[in-house]
Amino acid sequence: MLLDRVFRQLGMIGDVLNMNEKMGESLSALMDDEANELELERVLAQVSQDRDLRRSWIRYNLAQQAVQGSQIACLDWDISERVKSSLEDLRANDPAPAGITFKQRMLRPLVSLAVAASVAATVVIGGQQLALIGSDGAYDYGGSVATNASPVGMLNSLGATTVQASYGMQAVPILQPATSSAYQELALQRQRKYMQEHAEQAALNAPQGLIPFVRVPQIQE
Amino acid sequence: MLPRASNTVFRCLLLATLSVSIAVGANAAGCPDGDAVALSWLDKMSRSLRQASYHGVVTLQRDDHMQVMQVSHLVGDGSTSERLIELTGQGAQVERLSHPANCIHPGDRLLRGEALLPGQSCGIAKHYRFTVAPGGRVAGREVVRIVIEPRDMYRFGYVVDLDKETGILLKTQTVGHGDKTLETMQFANISYSDDPPELSQVDVFHKAQHLHPQSAPAEYPVSRAWALGWLPLGFAATDRSTGTNDRRTYTDGFAVFSVFLEELDVEIRAGEGLVKRGGTTSYTRGMRLDEQPVLVTVIGEVPVNTARMLADSVDWVQ
Repeated sequence: MLLDRVFRQLGMIGDVLNMNEKMGESLSALMDDEANELELERVLAQVSQDRDLRRSWIRYNLAQQAVQGSQIACLDWDISERVKSSLEDLRANDPAPAGITFKQRMLRPLVSLAVAASVAATVVIGGQQLALIGSDGAYDYGGSVATNASPVGMLNSLGATTVQASYGMQAVPILQPATSSAYQELALQRQRKYMQEHAEQAALNAPQGLIPFVRVPQIQE
Repeated sequence: MLPRASNTVFRCLLLATLSVSIAVGANAAGCPDGDAVALSWLDKMSRSLRQASYHGVVTLQRDDHMQVMQVSHLVGDGSTSERLIELTGQGAQVERLSHPANCIHPGDRLLRGEALLPGQSCGIAKHYRFTVAPGGRVAGREVVRIVIEPRDMYRFGYVVDLDKETGILLKTQTVGHGDKTLETMQFANISYSDDPPELSQVDVFHKAQHLHPQSAPAEYPVSRAWALGWLPLGFAATDRSTGTNDRRTYTDGFAVFSVFLEELDVEIRAGEGLVKRGGTTSYTRGMRLDEQPVLVTVIGEVPVNTARMLADSVDWVQ
């Protein structure tokens, strides 16, 4: 019975893995500032056709920028050409051999950083896509401060404020990272809440015996 | 609460039977070249905990913070007992008594080269590169050093020092991107004996749970079945937690991570929060799944980006 369940569950996961593994890895590298040119190209080639990939990238960017405390501009999804051309500029200065390995890539931090910087500078998020991932109140074009009650009473500041910004002829909302400090607090609370339950599992399945319990901020009896 | 002993033995026997039926040797054709010597040391490390009794003082260095603890490990008649007492911080004691020696959990089975996942018969050698390096001394003992490098970016690397004589793990360095040491666990001293050391006074006492791959406690069940749409390759479930249970935990033999799902009854702004302590990432994401606001928390010894991708892959089972 256990086997049945394990196989069933893994079979399902396996399908997704086959489909997305390579792309997920490229996207992951991109978001970790470790992408090489080939991976960036792979993502760019796919992103215009793949709704899920686009959505993932948008989510990562939104979340990452919110955490970093930077503003997120909501522009149109028009970055591919701009990034491609900056990539070509980069390559003209530092041609990359095809099929470089992970290790070689790690030894070329300057190029990775440059690529990451060019992406960070040009990644923009379309208003429509952003609407898919946010809650309704976050897009109050009137610019009022959102004051929805948070799920963890004490986090009243949890929420985004919207302000008017101008991009071309169109008013565009900018999601301000009012959420970042609140989410930081929320993450800390969840760490306290769940770390012991995680340690119970880690103590049975990692090679260090009971030592994972020392990572629990406050051990409960 | 520990389950009754007879129940424990029965479940572990069942587990052992299952493990034989789905295990495939680590040396299957087409596997990446693994360092056979390193793999045999890891196998020895995994088995050593069932063979040697020892006591010692261990330090855990994370960021700029050091914790010190006293550990003892006693191998008895067909079972092992472990005790950990924090000598710094909270001063808690954690113990696991009479753990059946033949009860092998998924993490240990992966370290022994078993393939728990269908289609992944190469075991850990597929996900890590192992090299044996010259070791010095740790806690006065001669050690063998094994450098463990991840083959993808979804997990950390490790440098482990094993007692040359007993195979006991004496030091672990968790290595992140750019060869940065995130966390170091090491014995300051160790003595091999069956005599329990004098106990320190403790304020908090916790009995470690014995969670079987067959068990699936649901303390905070969610209303709908959910699943992870993506897992880094080589991670196997540590127990049978599925469906509406609020937690899933996976291990690849070295790293363990857990994913928790909470349904919220009020709206939440999409966003994420992160707490990093040494090699442990605690990542919380607020989002909506089919109009339902949820909070996903990933806790484990994995890079931030792995946690982020895991959270992103959570969805209801349709």
